Amino acid sequence: MLFFIGQVFPYLAVGVFIVGMIWRVGKWLRVPVPFQLTLSPAPVTISSRFGKVCGELLLFPSLWCGDRGLWLWAWLMHVSLAMVIGGHIVGISSIGLQFMDIGFTAGQSLALSALMGTSSGVVMLVALIILLYRRTAVPEIKRLSDPADYFDLLLILAIVVSGLHMRMTSLNVDLMAIRAYLGGIISFHPIPIPKEWIFVSHFFLVNVLLIYIPFSKLVHFAGSIVNQSMLVAPAPVYPSPIKTNSANVSAKVRLWEGGNSQ
Amino acid sequence: MKPPMHIAKEKDTAAIGFPLVPENDQQAVTLSKMKDLQSSMRSLMVMLDNCTKCGNCAKQCHSYLGTEDYFNFPAARAELMRRIYKRYFTWVGRTFGRFAGAEDFDDETLNKWLTYFYQCNECRRCAQFCPFGIDTAEVTIAARHILSELGLMPKFMQGIAANMEKTGNNMGIPIPAILDCAEFMEDEMLEETGLSIKIPIDKPNSDILYIPSSADFFTNIDTMIGAAKLFHYLGVNWTISSNILEAANFGLLFNLNVMREHNERLKTAAGAVGAKLVIQGECGHGWRAAKMYTEGSNGPVDFEIIHILEYCAQHLEKLPLKKLPMRVTLHDPCNYARAGEIIEQPRAIIRACVTEFVEMTPNRENNFCCGGGSGILMDEMMEIRMKLGKKKAEQVSALGKLDYLAMPCSICKAQIPAVMKHYGIDNLSMGGVMDLVGKAMILGKN
Repeated sequence: MLFFIGQVFPYLAVGVFIVGMIWRVGKWLRVPVPFQLTLSPAPVTISSRFGKVCGELLLFPSLWCGDRGLWLWAWLMHVSLAMVIGGHIVGISSIGLQFMDIGFTAGQSLALSALMGTSSGVVMLVALIILLYRRTAVPEIKRLSDPADYFDLLLILAIVVSGLHMRMTSLNVDLMAIRAYLGGIISFHPIPIPKEWIFVSHFFLVNVLLIYIPFSKLVHFAGSIVNQSMLVAPAPVYPSPIKTNSANVSAKVRLWEGGNSQ
Repeated sequence: MKPPMHIAKEKDTAAIGFPLVPENDQQAVTLSKMKDLQSSMRSLMVMLDNCTKCGNCAKQCHSYLGTEDYFNFPAARAELMRRIYKRYFTWVGRTFGRFAGAEDFDDETLNKWLTYFYQCNECRRCAQFCPFGIDTAEVTIAARHILSELGLMPKFMQGIAANMEKTGNNMGIPIPAILDCAEFMEDEMLEETGLSIKIPIDKPNSDILYIPSSADFFTNIDTMIGAAKLFHYLGVNWTISSNILEAANFGLLFNLNVMREHNERLKTAAGAVGAKLVIQGECGHGWRAAKMYTEGSNGPVDFEIIHILEYCAQHLEKLPLKKLPMRVTLHDPCNYARAGEIIEQPRAIIRACVTEFVEMTPNRENNFCCGGGSGILMDEMMEIRMKLGKKKAEQVSALGKLDYLAMPCSICKAQIPAVMKHYGIDNLSMGGVMDLVGKAMILGKN
């Protein structure tokens, strides 16, 4: 069982995640956009369109305009998630010594790393709990929610709690053994997973999450880009520009087909 | 559940090419139409797949705020289709069912669709506030399209489609009546200005084809007079086509194939008079259908399409305007401010025509819909319509004493006066923006 969880499942999870995401996004992109969905006032230049989509992705201005409370917790949740992911990538490879590169001593680097990691984790924990509470406390959102919506939050909460547990009580976890194990996984020479039960559960749940993402609403990080891109598309220009041969392809795609099929 | 509007009779839907699908086949046909739309309209699948149910749209929707009916909360409205989509088109929904929010198609499904997708004004305010840009109007358009393909549509929509097919306008006005009305308006202008200002109908070799709203020939004649005075002063060669007396394109509001037919009529009429410029009158969704959908549904267009307010704003400097002593506000029609890039033009025009212009809050692309949009002006829905207009009444009453409420869209012009009356806001005249231009312009003996 540990062999499966430690040496097979991670590859399976990453494989499903990558293939699943390509399949999901590909499924959207294969379908034509017959009519422009430009939401005015629309940005006019390519760079301002890019800026609008990126701005939405980084700062959630729509939420800010609609509901400041939701914005705060949703934004903190996502930012701390990004910090945690970044911290895992950098921190695991250099075991907390990454800040030595910018002039800190080893001790300072470790302390800073621990501070950032722990605080991100705690912020994420608090934000998730508040979002979960909100889902049960606002009547229309409670009515709208399905078991799967709670499952998403609880799964991520379980990952955060197990992760924080290792950090808060880090003396009990053999970080070097975990690092060696993860190094093995990444370099395709998997070694047995350390029998640190809290780590095993944390790692297992992360893999479950990876498999779950492409098939659930958690795919919204990719869907948002596809969706927003439609809303910032330039409106049609009349008279229609004379079609060159290369533009005929897009003219064909734009033609309304669905309504006609009987 | 009984839908709140009169549903068109079987023989009437068949007469416009949408025979009623027998009840036993409804599920199969619905699912096959959903499949068609998924493979031809990217927005639908993306918008059904990506809602995280954060609930931010609830407070942004005038329909939910006014009716306080759960299914008018945009995410819940879209959920009416999303649940069916999950159940029949995603393996997660097929495998995990209710756990993943999937729901079987049952006897109530289509009744719920008819009831609630016809309480959405397709105003796109939810898209403006959704962090993922989910536009519930896209789901509403798809649902209404599917319903109409099943032969299920409001009597109101069926009647309009039948009139459009017969006469080219939604009110079913025959040519002699059109000529009569044009002559009446010409007489009015002659009396007022002493000038012979023409409203040419079907004049060949015209440079400009003007497509008014047919209501501009009856209830909103000041809008038509404003446009005629503008064309007269600029000395342009223009006409109106009796084949398309109506800018509105109700196809967009219930069936996309009907929309395409109407856009085709637009192309034919422009070709027939030889116009290189088509100017759309004061009609919200008509503007969106013409601007955003003509190329997509009917292929390349060889004439320019602009809006009368854009056109007027371009020539504003030249016009002999004398400011009217009025305190005026503007209601931004949804299809201008969120779907048609007409935001600053009406403001510039109003400022040039009156002494005091005040903004309502919120305004521009964040404005609330009048509650009549997307063609739900049925009399039998009056009670619901008044609830949908509640936000509008609050916005207007917050401004204090006003002389005029400008609302450059025929649907707003039909809905808002009823809303104002219902909420006890009187001593306020209402009408289009071109109405103000017509009144402020000094022509002839004025």
